[in-house]
Amino acid sequence: MLDIAKALVLGLLFGWSLHKAGLTHYARIVNVYRFRDMTVMRFMLTALVVGGFAIQAGIDLGFAVSAPIPPTSMLANVVGGVVFGVGMATAGYCPGTIVAEAGEGRLDAWVAGLSGLLVGAIVFGLLQPVTMPALARVGALGRVTFASLAGASPWLVLLVFGQVVALVLILIARVGRKTP
Amino acid sequence: MARKMPSDPFVRCPVPLAIVLLMLARPAYAQCTSNASSCVTCHETQGLRPVLQSAQPWHVDHGFGDLCASCHAGDPAASTQERAHVGLRRPLAEPSLSCAGCHADDASARAERYLALAVGLAPPPPTPASPTAGASTGSSIADRILAVLAVVLALALYFVVRRELTSERRSLFAWLRDKTWSPYAAGVLLGLVVAFSEVVCGRPLAVSGAFDKLAAYFGRWLFPASQYYGHVMTPGITWQVWLVVGVLAGSFTSSKLSGEARWRWLPDTQWEPRFGASRKLRLVIAFFGAALVQIGAAIAGGCTSGLAISGGAALAPAAFLFMAGMFAGGIPTAWLWYRGRVD
Repeated sequence: MLDIAKALVLGLLFGWSLHKAGLTHYARIVNVYRFRDMTVMRFMLTALVVGGFAIQAGIDLGFAVSAPIPPTSMLANVVGGVVFGVGMATAGYCPGTIVAEAGEGRLDAWVAGLSGLLVGAIVFGLLQPVTMPALARVGALGRVTFASLAGASPWLVLLVFGQVVALVLILIARVGRKTP
Repeated sequence: MARKMPSDPFVRCPVPLAIVLLMLARPAYAQCTSNASSCVTCHETQGLRPVLQSAQPWHVDHGFGDLCASCHAGDPAASTQERAHVGLRRPLAEPSLSCAGCHADDASARAERYLALAVGLAPPPPTPASPTAGASTGSSIADRILAVLAVVLALALYFVVRRELTSERRSLFAWLRDKTWSPYAAGVLLGLVVAFSEVVCGRPLAVSGAFDKLAAYFGRWLFPASQYYGHVMTPGITWQVWLVVGVLAGSFTSSKLSGEARWRWLPDTQWEPRFGASRKLRLVIAFFGAALVQIGAAIAGGCTSGLAISGGAALAPAAFLFMAGMFAGGIPTAWLWYRGRVD
């Protein structure tokens, strides 16, 4: 019960942040790929860095032994990303923003977005046995992080990563234009 | 749990609020449901008696899905060690209960093969050492200093963000009703939500996984013989599904407060000049785009939130490879849709 309550509260804040960042707009998503509006990158990169520091702080304060690490399978990660990017630049959606758009009253998200996600999941279910065993094996490193790969302190990795992101964001702010 | 909330200026910003939340939360040393059903995540990710590196080949042979409970029993949805390990059994001692569940025809032959390999391996004790013992001795002085540094940085960010947000004094309610926030402010909120999800709940903030789990109800009905829906992607109302319900509510609340919640069929800008006012065309393109997004997320192991942001914050290379792929796919696609247009 408490677990479900946490999921609902975290989801609520997540949906809230998606809407307040303006990610429930087709144009805002698509224009990332046209380098016309970098709002999504500002939002995502900020979340990445803040999340990274907060996760390490949480671990060091003893709230968890580790964060859940997604497995790295180089080919599957990249191929999945390419397919994802094609879909994202076509519909102006990602799974989270479809749900957020539905919450805002967008009927295309209710009718086409949610059903598209479900149908996509079933299509993947058919593809999985023939494609994934081979695909997932290429460049499979397991549940690694940059820190574990390099044998470095995650804090040092975060510091460097945070500085790179800060530079990228400042550069984006200098050259960026915004969708009206 | 009730504790006095910080006074007005602090309430405005999610940073101190989330730090307080983090302090109040109960420690989660042995949470075992990091992914959908996740014996593997506790045993692998958190490194507590990892199985996939072990010399016992059946674990590697069966590593294509979350199949632990098929052989070992126990409760793969429980979030504490005690509850997850209730009813645990020794698979090789009773192949009729374990192996025969999937390999009904030749269970004993398969068990024989593994039993032969297991000779000489000491049987593992059923109750591993308490993981809390290791955690309390883990942090050094340097770690503590760095943790303090992170809090200082969070506070610095708070002041930077606050200055950007409020040029004049405004009430908290006015701020909640804003149509948009600075993407940095919203990003700080999302970052803290991701961290809370990963550290306290032990799960990535994943959306696409919920749709895999929901679609599995249809998948199992359509393809009853499928191994995938039978063992790898079993249907369920998981934690992630509740997260999605929360996202729906959060976006609704935010848009309702800012006066933007209303029924509509087409995107507000840019769509009509390019594709026209046809609802049907929007639905077709949106449907195929959404399907591709879900397929891509399933191949990569997560979507923008569950892999790129959650995995990226945990510093996993998978997240950055995924983002590189996203741009490699998205840039040419957007170019194809909009080539030759000046807007």
